[in-house]
Amino acid sequence: MTQTNRIGGRLIDRSRSLSFTFNGRAMQGHPGDTLASALLANGQQLVGRSFKYHRPRGIFSAGSEEPNALVQLRRGAAQEPNTRATVAELFDGLEATSQNHRGPLEYDLLAATDLLAPFLGAGFYYKTFMWPKSFWEKLYEPAIRSSAGLGRLSMEPDPDRYDHGYLHCDLLVIGAGPAGLSAAVAGGRAGARVILADEDFRPGGRLNAETLEIDGAPGHDWARTALAELAAMDNVRVLSRTTVYGAYDHGIYGALERMTDHLPASGGKPRQVLWRIYAHRAVLCAGATERGIAFGNNDRPGVMLAGAVRAYVNRWGVAPGKRVAVFTNNDDGWRTATDLRAAGVDVAAVVDSRGDVTMSLDGARVETGGAIVDTAGRKGLNRITLQNGDRIEADCLAVSGGWNPNVHLTCHQRGRPTWRDDIAAFVPGGALPPGMTVAGAAGGALTLAAALREGRETANTALEDLGFTASREPAPKAEDEAAGITPFWHVAASRKRAWVDLQNDVTAKDVKQSHAEGFRSVEHLKRYTTLGMATDQGKTANVLGLAILAQAAGRSIPETGTTIFRPPYTPVPIGAFAGRARGRDFRPYRLTPSHKWATEQGATFVEVGMWLRAQWFARPGETGWRDSVDREVEMTRNSVGICDVTTLGKIDIKGRDAAEFLNRLYVNGFAKLSVGRVRYGLMLREDGIAYDDGTTARLGENHYVMTTTTANAVTVFRNMEFARQCLWPDLDVHLISTTDGWAQFAVAGPNSRNLLRKVVDAAHDISKDAFPFMACAEVTVCGGTPARLFRISFSGELAYEIAVPARYGDAMIRALMAAGEEFGAIPYGTEALGVMRIEKGHAAGNELNGQTSAHHLGMGRMISRKKDCIGNAASERAELSREDGLRLVGLRPVDHGAKLDAGAHFIERGDASPSMASDLGWMSSVAYSPSLGHSIGLGFVRRGDARMGDIIRAYDPVRGKDTEVEIVSAHFIDPEGERLRA
Amino acid sequence: MIIHHPLLGPRDAAEFVYKGDVTLIDRPDWQAEDAAEAFHDYLYLRDNPAGEHRELWFHEQGDRSWLVVTRNTLTHEITKVELARDVARERGRSR
Amino acid sequence: MPDLTLTPTPPLDGYAQDFAGTRLAEASELAIVAVATPAGGETALEAAVKAAYGTGTPAPGASILSKDGKARLVWSGPDQMFLLFTHDAPDAEAGVAAALGQAGYCTDQTGVWAALEISGPGVRGALERLCPLDLHPDAFAEGAAARTVMEHMGAFVIRTGSDAFLLLSASSSAKSFLHAVELSVRNTA
Repeated sequence: MTQTNRIGGRLIDRSRSLSFTFNGRAMQGHPGDTLASALLANGQQLVGRSFKYHRPRGIFSAGSEEPNALVQLRRGAAQEPNTRATVAELFDGLEATSQNHRGPLEYDLLAATDLLAPFLGAGFYYKTFMWPKSFWEKLYEPAIRSSAGLGRLSMEPDPDRYDHGYLHCDLLVIGAGPAGLSAAVAGGRAGARVILADEDFRPGGRLNAETLEIDGAPGHDWARTALAELAAMDNVRVLSRTTVYGAYDHGIYGALERMTDHLPASGGKPRQVLWRIYAHRAVLCAGATERGIAFGNNDRPGVMLAGAVRAYVNRWGVAPGKRVAVFTNNDDGWRTATDLRAAGVDVAAVVDSRGDVTMSLDGARVETGGAIVDTAGRKGLNRITLQNGDRIEADCLAVSGGWNPNVHLTCHQRGRPTWRDDIAAFVPGGALPPGMTVAGAAGGALTLAAALREGRETANTALEDLGFTASREPAPKAEDEAAGITPFWHVAASRKRAWVDLQNDVTAKDVKQSHAEGFRSVEHLKRYTTLGMATDQGKTANVLGLAILAQAAGRSIPETGTTIFRPPYTPVPIGAFAGRARGRDFRPYRLTPSHKWATEQGATFVEVGMWLRAQWFARPGETGWRDSVDREVEMTRNSVGICDVTTLGKIDIKGRDAAEFLNRLYVNGFAKLSVGRVRYGLMLREDGIAYDDGTTARLGENHYVMTTTTANAVTVFRNMEFARQCLWPDLDVHLISTTDGWAQFAVAGPNSRNLLRKVVDAAHDISKDAFPFMACAEVTVCGGTPARLFRISFSGELAYEIAVPARYGDAMIRALMAAGEEFGAIPYGTEALGVMRIEKGHAAGNELNGQTSAHHLGMGRMISRKKDCIGNAASERAELSREDGLRLVGLRPVDHGAKLDAGAHFIERGDASPSMASDLGWMSSVAYSPSLGHSIGLGFVRRGDARMGDIIRAYDPVRGKDTEVEIVSAHFIDPEGERLRA
Repeated sequence: MIIHHPLLGPRDAAEFVYKGDVTLIDRPDWQAEDAAEAFHDYLYLRDNPAGEHRELWFHEQGDRSWLVVTRNTLTHEITKVELARDVARERGRSR
Repeated sequence: MPDLTLTPTPPLDGYAQDFAGTRLAEASELAIVAVATPAGGETALEAAVKAAYGTGTPAPGASILSKDGKARLVWSGPDQMFLLFTHDAPDAEAGVAAALGQAGYCTDQTGVWAALEISGPGVRGALERLCPLDLHPDAFAEGAAARTVMEHMGAFVIRTGSDAFLLLSASSSAKSFLHAVELSVRNTA
C-alpha cells in the first residue's frame, strides 16, 4: 500500500523511508512520523476494537491523550501491549498489531457484543453476575476476561533493562511548547540550571502542529531556533521523549525518559530511565488537551479531534481524510478548516453549535447553530447527519468541544482545579505543589501570545525568587488568535449512542443512568461507569462526562466538581519503577571474608538479611544436608571446627563514659567489667521485651567492642545513637560500626586451643590460666598480623573467636585450616552453629522474637535492680515478669525416634479439647542433636522452670502432629560448663 | 521528601529513618514514684495531630545525626529541622 | 608446618578498568581511621590536628588535605572525622593515635570500606544513575564530601578533582557496589 494520504509534511524527512507492518501488512513512513501519522498516511483508518463492545475504532488524537489507537508493538518477549500509536515513534522494521478482536480486525467475531449493548449499560456487571455465587469464578469472570480487555502480555520475562537516575535543577520546565520554550530560554539566559522536559520526541508542542507565527516566522521554526539556543547552553538540559509524570513532596518530580523505544533494539542500554528530579522551582507548561462532543455514533474511525486533524496535516503532511467536515463549539475548530483548506484538503462543511458566529470559509458549507446527530460508515466514516436531517458525505470529521488545560500535575498534592466560564474549562486551583507555577495553556491562557508571555514572566518570577537576575526582555511576539467558545457538550437530539469515554465505552446515556441510580458524585460516577479510567485516564472524556452529569443533575459544573488526578500523568511501565532491581540485582549482597574460600570448598550458602553465609560444607559421599551438618557438629565437639562469624554486628565504643553507657543499655551490670574481659549482655526494648544479646569486650580503659546479633546489627547501632544523642547527650561516648572491618572466626572444640597456639604468636600466652573463659586480648597472629582474641563460646565447647583486619580474612581462614589439619579441623556452617547453640540452650532469633521478656528467657535475675537501663522499668510489668509465666526450657521427645517441629504448641497430656485457655506455650527451635542421637527442642512453657521432668504434648494441628515431650533443662550439653572452661 | 539537615542542607528523605514523636526524648525517671505510669504514657501515648508535628529522624545514610523535624502532617511542609542532641539538652537531658 | 604468613586481599582485589570516558580503580592501599572528638575536647583536637597535619578539622560536608597533601580529613559526623591516607600495613590506627595523642578517639576503619576511584569526563553522567546527591560543581565543589545511599548501599562520595571522585562503600558489599557503579558507567557510556 502506498502513502495515499501523504500531502507534504513539514517535520518529517521525506528523503528517507521507513518500512513497518500493521497486522502483517507492509507499509511505509518517514523519519519524524508516529505510528499513527504513518497509518493515516497509508489510509489505515481502522486501527482497533473498543474495550467493551468491540466497536471499530480509529485514531482520535495526535498525542498522549489517545483513548482509541492502542496497539501492540514488537514481537516475542519484547511485545508491548496498549501502546498509543499516537506517541509511538516510527522506526524501520516496526511491527504493530491491533488489539481486542477475535479473528481479523475488520471482521471481529466479538463485534456481536455491540448488538447486546442495550443490556450492557452502566453497572451491568455489578447487577448481572450476582448469582449463583459459585458461577463467578468458574464461568462469569473467565468469560468476561476473555472477551473484554485490551492487549495481551507476552507472558515472557521483559527482555529490556531499565534504569533510575537523579537530576537537580533550579528550574524545571514541564512541557516544551511555546510557554515552556519561552520559560526555558528565560531560565537559560539568566544562568539558572534548567531542565526542560517534553514528552514528544520533537519538542515544540502545538507550535509543530500549527501555522501560527512568532516574531514573523513560522512557529515551528521559532521553536527550532529556541531549542538550538537551549542546546548550546551548558546550564540547560533538554530532555525530549521524557514525561514528567508526578509531582511529589518538596519539589521532587518523577519523570520517565524513553531512551530506546524509538530504536529497533536497545543495544544493551536501558530502554527507559526513571528520573527523580529535584527542582527548586517548576513551571508547568503542559499545554491543553482538546475534548470532543457527544453525539450519535461519534466513535467511528474518521471522527477525530479537530486539533489532531490539524497536527496531522501541518506537522506530518497527512490528510486524515479526502473530504473533511468540522464540528465545533469554538473558534479554534475553525482553524482546522482553514488549515485543511490551505493544505488543499476538501472541507465538506463546518458545523458550529454557536448561533452567533460570523465566520465563513470560502466555498464550504457552514452550519451555524447546527449539530450532528448521527454518522454512518461500517469500518470508517462516510457520512454525517445534521440535526436538520441533512446528510453530508465526509470520510473524516474534526470535532472540537474546547480545550482542557492539563492541570494534572497541579493536583498531585493538594491542588483542586477551579472552573473558568470564559474558556469553559477547569484551570489549576487550590494549593499547587510548593514551588510550582503554571504558564500558558495549562493555566488557561489558550492563545499563543499569552503562552509566550506567561512562560517568560512566570519563569522570571521564579528565577528572581531564587536570586537570579532575570533578563526581563520582552517575550517573542505573536498574535492572540481567536479563541472564543460557547460550551456545548451533548447533542441531546441524537437518538443513537453518544460516546463520552471512548476507551471505556461509556456513553452519555450511561452517565445519565448512573446519576439516576444515585451515583451523584463525580468520583462515584467514575467508579460506577469506569469513565476516566485505564491508560488515558479520561484526558479527552472527563470534563465531557461531568458536564453531562451536571446537566442531568441540574447543577453547574463547578457545583458538580471534578475528579482529582493522581500520578502518573501517562502510564509508566512497572519495569521502569523496578529499575535495576531484578534477579540478582534485586538487592546487594554482603559477603563474608571467607566467602571465596568457602565457595572453593563447595559450601552451600544461605541468605541471612543481605549476607550470604555458608550453611554447610558438603563432603563427597554425603547424601543430604543432615549428613554434612551432623558431621560438622560431631567433628567440632570431638576435635575442632571453624565458623565465619563476621556477620555479627560489631560496634566500637569509646569514651570516658563508655562503661556507664553500656550499663544503661544492658540489663546486667557492665560498670565493673575489667580490661581484658568479655561479658554476655542482654538488651531490652524500652517496653521491656527482650531485644538483642551478645558479648561486649573491654579492650582498654575507655574502649569496648560490642557484638550484636547479625539481624539486629543496624538497628542496635541506631538505637544506641538515639540513646547517646537524645537520652544522655552529655555522656562522653562515641560509636562506630566495625562489622565489616574485622574478619571474625569461631574456633570451637577441645582442640581449639591447640590449633590457635599454632596461629597466635608465641608472645601471647593463651593457656587455660593466662587466658581463661571470657578473656579477651589484642594479640598478633601468623608472625605479626594484629588480631583480637576472645575466649567465648556459642557452641558450649572450649572455644574462641579470633578477629583479624577484614583484608586478612581470606588468608586467615586458610591459615586456620592449614594449622588445624593435624586435628582434623573442619569448617562448619550456620546449620551446625544452630544445632550446637540449641544443644547448649542459647537463645537466638527464634527466642528473641519480639514477644518474650528476660523473665521468659530465664534471665529475669540478670536484670540489675541497682541501676537504670533501657527497658528496665517496663520489664517489671506483671505480665512480663509473673512467676508463673513462660520460661525457656528444653524439650525432648519421649519417643526418641520422634522428630520435633518448631511452632508446635504445648498442652497437657490429658487435654481433650485444646484451646487458647489450655495453651502452655510453644516450641521455638528444634534440631536433630547428633550428640544425643535424637531430636531436641527449645521452647517456652508456662512455669516451665518448675516442671522439669513433666511430660506434655507438642500439639501441632497444622502439620497434624501430636508428640509427647519431656520438659528438661535447656542445657542439653555440658550443663555444668566444664567444657567451655577447660 | 527533602529534609534540610541543619549541618548539611537539603538531603533526600531516603537517607533517613523515621522514629516517631519528639517526646521519645523525654524518657521518664526510673526511680520516680509514678515510674510505671510514666513509662506507660511514654511508651504508648502519642498525640496524632493533623498539622504540625515534631518528630525524630535518623540520618542513617548520612552523618548519623538524630534530627527533630517539624513537619505538617497535612501538607508535609517542613518548617524546622534541629539537631536532636540540642533539643534533648533544651528539654533538660544531660548525662 | 606450612608458612602461615597472612597476605591481605583488598575487597575489590585491586580492580582497575577503563571505559570510554571513565576510569574505575580500587584505591587498594587507602587506610582509613575514624577520629571522634571527646566531649569538650574540640579545642584540644583542633590543636592536635593542626600540629600533626598542618590543617584545621574539616567543616560539615567537606574534606581538606593535610599540609603535606598526604592525608585527607573528611567530616563524617558532628563529632567525628575520617582520616584517609595511603598506607599498606594494618597499623594505621596506631599511627594516627600516636600523632594525635589523647586528643581524639581513633578507630581503624580501613577494613570497613572499599575505596573506588572514579574519574574521567563521563563521571557525572554515570553517577547520575546512582547517586541522589547534586554533584554539580556549584553544589559539590572539589573537596566536598557526603555520605549517602546508592542502590541500597551506604557510600561516601568525595570530590577529589573536577572529574574525579572517591567512593567509599562497605567492604562486605563491595562487589555489589562495584557492579552498581560499573553498570552506571556502561549504561551511560
